[in-house]
Amino acid sequence: MTEVSLLSLVKSYGKSIALKGISLSVGHGEFVSLLGPSGCGKSTTLKCIAGFEDISDGKILFDNTDISRRLPEQRDIGMVFQSYALFPHMTVAQNLAFGLEMRRVPKSEIATRVARAMEMVQLTPYAERFPKALSGGQQQRVALARALVIEPAILLLDEPLANLDAKLRDEMRGFIRDLQKRVGITTIYVTHDQGEAMTMSDRVVVMFDGEIAQAAPPEEVYNHPASERVARFVGNANILDLAVTGKDAAGSDLALPGGGALRVDSPAPWANGRLRVMARPEQIALTDPGAGHLGGEISKRYFSGGHVEYHVDTQCGPLVVLGPTTQTVAEGQTVALAFDPARLWPIPDPKGPAQ
Amino acid sequence: MKRLRASLLIAPSAALIFLFIVLPYITVLVMSFRAPAEGQPYGEGFSLEGYTHFFNESYYAMSLPQTMFLGLLTTLVCLVLAYPVALHIAFASKRWRGFLYGIVLSPLLVGIVVRSYGWTILLGNSGVINSTLRNMGLIQKPLPLMYNDFGVVLALAHVFLPFMVLPLLSALQAMDPAITQAARSLGASRFTIFRRVTFPVSMPGVQSGCILVFVLAISSYVTPALVGGMRVKTTTLLVVDALIDQFQWPFGSAMALILAVSAGIVVLIFARLTRMKWT
Amino acid sequence: MRLATPLLTFIRVSVYVFLLAPIVIVVLASLNAGNFLTFPPQGLSLRWFWTFLQNDVFIDAIIYSAVLALCATAVSLVIGTMAALYFVRHATREAEVVRVGMLLPLILPEILTAIALLFFFYEIGIGTEHQIALFTGHVLMTLPFVFLNVTTSLQGRDESVELAARTLGASRYTAFRRVTLPLIAPGLATGGIFAFIISFDTFGISFILKGAGSAPLPIQLYDYLRFNFTPEAAAVSTVSILLTLVLVTVSDLVFGRE
Repeated sequence: MTEVSLLSLVKSYGKSIALKGISLSVGHGEFVSLLGPSGCGKSTTLKCIAGFEDISDGKILFDNTDISRRLPEQRDIGMVFQSYALFPHMTVAQNLAFGLEMRRVPKSEIATRVARAMEMVQLTPYAERFPKALSGGQQQRVALARALVIEPAILLLDEPLANLDAKLRDEMRGFIRDLQKRVGITTIYVTHDQGEAMTMSDRVVVMFDGEIAQAAPPEEVYNHPASERVARFVGNANILDLAVTGKDAAGSDLALPGGGALRVDSPAPWANGRLRVMARPEQIALTDPGAGHLGGEISKRYFSGGHVEYHVDTQCGPLVVLGPTTQTVAEGQTVALAFDPARLWPIPDPKGPAQ
Repeated sequence: MKRLRASLLIAPSAALIFLFIVLPYITVLVMSFRAPAEGQPYGEGFSLEGYTHFFNESYYAMSLPQTMFLGLLTTLVCLVLAYPVALHIAFASKRWRGFLYGIVLSPLLVGIVVRSYGWTILLGNSGVINSTLRNMGLIQKPLPLMYNDFGVVLALAHVFLPFMVLPLLSALQAMDPAITQAARSLGASRFTIFRRVTFPVSMPGVQSGCILVFVLAISSYVTPALVGGMRVKTTTLLVVDALIDQFQWPFGSAMALILAVSAGIVVLIFARLTRMKWT
Repeated sequence: MRLATPLLTFIRVSVYVFLLAPIVIVVLASLNAGNFLTFPPQGLSLRWFWTFLQNDVFIDAIIYSAVLALCATAVSLVIGTMAALYFVRHATREAEVVRVGMLLPLILPEILTAIALLFFFYEIGIGTEHQIALFTGHVLMTLPFVFLNVTTSLQGRDESVELAARTLGASRYTAFRRVTLPLIAPGLATGGIFAFIISFDTFGISFILKGAGSAPLPIQLYDYLRFNFTPEAAAVSTVSILLTLVLVTVSDLVFGRE
């Protein structure tokens, strides 16, 4: 098991800067996801770790050893590519054996290790097939086995599920996570799918524009996003811009349009004397008009199996609310929204807290 | 470091192209301004005589419009013949496509001398076509199919047809088949789809095919020599004659450059006329 | 529209016939028993193939052309593949310059390139001696075909396959030899075949740059055809067509098709 540390990683292509000083450390056996929109630098970070991109500045350490200048083949990494990158002219077994051959592992040992790896990903019957004859999910598992059979120091995964259909993707999420836990390998996973990042990772690193916006466990990122942009990227976010009517050491009092009042745990309002708070759709309840904190009218109602999504026009703008299917509220109906003050999250002021 | 290692890959080809294409073409340019001489390829000093000689002698000067005419006609014939074929192959089933592709490429697998020779067998006075027609009693005297513009254009069109089909084909295959379906769903007839959608979208292919065929046609030597029997005088034939047989290097070079510049002007005008804003 | 369909079919079939006609005619003419090229043939016979086999000029020319084509192809394959690798994997802003540069021998009129080379080699004092100019010309003519085919082959390949080999511990060279090379082998084969055929058939370069002594086949054939009309030329042509066909078929069977 290996610890990976990125120290102020900078990558520039001529004038454009892809990574603006990334610092991150990934612990022994930890599963970390790099999450962000395309062009945020997550894939570049992975390529730098793998050695496919030279870094412009900074350092990459594996267990305190600087490997920034090493060639990819000298870094002892296992990598799974978005396209799987299986060798089409080799059978499954030959694909798996390749890395061991490069390490000059004796033939007999190669055979046993390949067999074990194939068993691990449940592909033993397919050993002599060529990649083309396998389904997407099977190819995916070959790619995983090929990366793991060499027992690398770390495992890198570059959007490995992007080419699978929805049902298989859900299955593979669990499969990869279980395998990673069993092997106990330090893993860095790149994805633009927040659901994937949430369900699989020990820690999610949200990146925008070549910088880390937040690095925290999934619950923390989801419930306590570091910025409005993170809040909106990681799931559906209702942002309410509210006036602060009073504040003490324990929290702030907020006024809602229409007379409602709320109290949140927050040290300070923003510089303009207001506070922006986030409420996730499932953290808001629909109640009868008159009750709750904020009045509104249902503009759209979407049934989606497990729950119902309501779009509600309020004086704080349009909000999204998830309700249980047992509750029936029609479009056009007047309702009130009730917030759970304990779960409202005041978004930190990007300019720093006002005094 | 990485860049340096990578540039070693391109170094041999770059050196080859620079040494044996760029420098030699500069040599031709310089040669065209050298003074002519008797008994040796060129003399001392520089002069414009190579160029003035070409335009003063109508025997040479008139070959230029004649060559351009042959080139344009060949291009047009190629385009008209190649388009239906390219369309056919682009939308043919996979099994047929390979076979038809083979037919289109087959002339390329056979040397240009052999192909031109094949045309002389077909078009000659006692050739296949004339003797067949005569045996059928349709003609008394052989039709003049060879040693004239007709034969040359026909043979040139054959020789260069693959160079028209291939760019057309790649343009047509790059086209999203959904757009013709979209046009259809919007109510366009098949002819309208061709005129308003397929043909305009394939324009880049039309352009490169036409330019390629035109340039190849005006600079070809064997075909006009064999099928034209030296009776159709193209500038290229005169260039080779001046250089190889008459040993007049400055004049030959000047003539070659005049041809190249004229071709460049025609290509530019063509590109200008068929300019597309969307590519 | 109902009328247009049979008309289009007719045009298409005519074009296919047009494309094949001269080749078929040459082969038929080579089987002519008579002394002159006439049609229909005056009986079938292989006598012109016998005449050809006893004609040292043509036999020498075929061997000469084949050796020249093999050597030119070998050189083009190596440096053209290197250039294609550079173009696909490393070229950024200069990519267009590289592409146009590599295609120059194809785009520029062959006869003009031949003349340019002739002057150039005279200027540096070599002239057409030792077949250096001729060989250089043939490498130039074949280079674009190798470059085009290998480039297409490389572009169709996912680069991450090579990167995957690197992560598994293969050096740059091993990754190329074990992974990239087997995958682009069909492209190399096609490029090589094209190069060989182009070199075997090219006229302008050989016509201008051939030195004293033996000459490539197309030149000998051309010289012969200027003054003779016997079906022997057709027999020579048929043999060269057959050689090409055999070459294409064999490589197709060995390397498969792209």
